[in-house]
Amino acid sequence: MPIQEVFDLVVKHTCEVMPELDGHTFVATDSLRDLGANSMDRAEIIMMTLESLSVTIPLVELAGANNIGELAKLIHDKSTS
Amino acid sequence: MMPVGIEAMNVFAGTSYVDVSKLAVHRGLETARFENLLMKEKTVALPDEDPVTFGVNAAKPIIDALSEEERDRIEMVITATESAFDFGKSMSTYFHSLLGLGRNCRLFEIKVACYSGVAALQTAANFVLSQTSPGAKALVIATDLTRFMVAEGGDALSEDWSFAEPSGGAGAVAMLVSDNPKVFQIDVGASGYYGHEVMDTCRPLPDSEAGNAELSLLSYLDCCENAFLEYQRRVGDVDFVDTFGYLAFHTPFGGMVKGAHRNLMRKMAKARPAAIEEDFQRRMGPGLTYCRRVGNVMGATTMLSLASTIDNADLSGGAQRVGCFSYGSGCCSEFFSGVVQPESQTHLRRMGIAASLDDRYELDMAQYDLLLKSNDAVRFGTRNLELAGTTVPEARASLGRERLFLKRIDEFHREYEWIS
Repeated sequence: MPIQEVFDLVVKHTCEVMPELDGHTFVATDSLRDLGANSMDRAEIIMMTLESLSVTIPLVELAGANNIGELAKLIHDKSTS
Repeated sequence: MMPVGIEAMNVFAGTSYVDVSKLAVHRGLETARFENLLMKEKTVALPDEDPVTFGVNAAKPIIDALSEEERDRIEMVITATESAFDFGKSMSTYFHSLLGLGRNCRLFEIKVACYSGVAALQTAANFVLSQTSPGAKALVIATDLTRFMVAEGGDALSEDWSFAEPSGGAGAVAMLVSDNPKVFQIDVGASGYYGHEVMDTCRPLPDSEAGNAELSLLSYLDCCENAFLEYQRRVGDVDFVDTFGYLAFHTPFGGMVKGAHRNLMRKMAKARPAAIEEDFQRRMGPGLTYCRRVGNVMGATTMLSLASTIDNADLSGGAQRVGCFSYGSGCCSEFFSGVVQPESQTHLRRMGIAASLDDRYELDMAQYDLLLKSNDAVRFGTRNLELAGTTVPEARASLGRERLFLKRIDEFHREYEWIS
């Protein structure tokens, strides 16, 4: 699956967890934290994305992404490796 | 197999607290999504309260209810903590002395972050099951506190403490473990444990915490799922929804367990959001009641959630199985279970845990900030200090019954006094 599709899934689930972001134009450098997501929101977004992709990756391996683009790349790389 | 578990249990969560939503406003935290974290109040440890006063105040009513013969059968006191004030001397020695226990007794302390209370409980249960000393009991005291310290002239108050400050509480849970488990009968062997090395949160410095809260949260979620899967593998016919009437999870803050529950409900039961919410309120709400009022008490938190579950569950229909999950950073975790009877609730409610939470004095923000500065007087390594009655007299006045306080430190030796 191309990274862009993973990115789109992250965006989709971000809007589900935080409906107030509906209408926001997401870019790769957007930080979930700066968008107002607290640590629990961020974990939720990651878990929902993994479920949509039907992949199992230890969540601790996905800590440390600084923005949505990095998160999408991390998930993409870990699911194809 | 012989029964084993908790014969008697009590919680002590201090003499004063702050309202965490007021604290969040006071610190200028982002409050828009603060509600989702499900925090309400947190106990604040006063300078003349320490892990020993919390532990003794929790254990005293349990010991007082025993006959002399029963008391002499306590052959093990295990302290579970990450808040010790000595690397060598075990706090169990203070508990042993202040509670007047017999001398033929093992006294030791264990550490494994927030998993310590459950590690101690299972160690005690296995001592009973081993039958090396038939009829013996073990006293487990899980006791922890967070003291946020501010040095004069420092800028820590303006730093981003995020949610660590509003969630960090103080308190202790005492448990008498024996072959007469009137309060909580452990399902022997029904344990899924799961651990590995991860540097999430830790206390590499005295009186201070460090680490990565986000990594810790993700590790908790990983462990919760894997510990449950191992429990299921060992026990066999287990259904996450039907097997447990109630769930008591380690609760750093309410939003954390809500996320863990949602994850398991989606994966194990393919449940929809409305069903997940109903299940959460029904099976986890009772356990959250006290946790939301005390804050994270580290090694004691899972057992605080269990006590809250037993006190607040609807047991009118008979016995219920409680699924428990404990996670300690670093990390080690365990999913286990036990059974509570309607009589368990009667026994536990005699301790008056809810009333003792109501009795606490509410600190205003000025008093609270002042405490953060005065905490420095009792920092790790304090050699000599006179304390008696020097802090927050209103908190002492709010007490409904006799409580233990730290009176002085004399050449590192701690001396305590009973105040009523």
